[in-house]
Amino acid sequence: MRVKLLYHTDLEAIKKVLQAKEVAFDPESLMDHVVYMFEIEDCSRITTHQLVRHRVASYDQESQRFSAATREGMVTPASIQSNEAAYKVYDEALKSVYAAYEKLAAAGVPKEDARYILPGGIKTKLVMTLSARSLMHMVWQRTALQAQWEIRELAVTLQNLAREATPELWTKIIER
Amino acid sequence: MKASLVWASPKPERTIATAMRRCYSTKVIEEIEAELEQKGPVYWKFLLTKAMQDKSLDVLEHFTMTMLVEEAGDPEVGSLARSYPYLRMMRLNASDWLVSLNARTLVELWKDPGAKAFAETFVTELDGKGVCPLFNELAFGERTHAS
Repeated sequence: MRVKLLYHTDLEAIKKVLQAKEVAFDPESLMDHVVYMFEIEDCSRITTHQLVRHRVASYDQESQRFSAATREGMVTPASIQSNEAAYKVYDEALKSVYAAYEKLAAAGVPKEDARYILPGGIKTKLVMTLSARSLMHMVWQRTALQAQWEIRELAVTLQNLAREATPELWTKIIER
Repeated sequence: MKASLVWASPKPERTIATAMRRCYSTKVIEEIEAELEQKGPVYWKFLLTKAMQDKSLDVLEHFTMTMLVEEAGDPEVGSLARSYPYLRMMRLNASDWLVSLNARTLVELWKDPGAKAFAETFVTELDGKGVCPLFNELAFGERTHAS
């Protein structure tokens, strides 16, 4: 998985306004005004289904209606990768699915219909824009030990990038 | 009421175009951005026009901005805040507010007769700062032509 911060709100510009208006810097009240746009690549569609449950955000995702799926573009969980017997079952199933996908395409079935047989572990790419408040809520929920490993990895990465970009905002809130 | 731009997404039209290309491209983001830079504003305008025509306004949500709104009355601001949940407002003092929104919300405000005056103030400020001339022309054409 690869995550890139494409832009974020200039917190300094907002702080200048607060100073001019003699308003104290309060990270809590600015969480709705600081926004981040991320590119997320090579995470599974299973994880993006979990991600979009965080509804107060904007998402645009690579469409399977227009791009062809490949056997190489899969996220394989460690529990399968490290288990020889399990991996054999998984690999055989994938070979069968992708062979069928190609046969459907060869039979003239459009990609948007052939994709109905594709697995949830297929890799995807998307852009996501959300406020610091939405991101913090997501991080709080998805870094919990009950969260699944892939979205937990994503949430930690998103948090690290946001903290690096706007340390003052995140540090003051986490300190509370 | 007076609006002053505090901050906006860098290269707003290219940001919207990036979101559009993300849906239809298998390329990594650096390749998409390089392609958009190489093709330039004419191509961004083509994509923006398509988004507006198809009413695929979700891509506009990636263009975000923050405004300082001064001399705004409580009833006006309160009514807008209740009607537009994605309009984020913070009171600074009796009549001044920090307002953050995305371009989709701005388009929705523009289309609402009860909110158009508010939206016009923002669009005029964006015009004045030269932030997003292509977007303003496509989304708010009649006002841009009239000014």
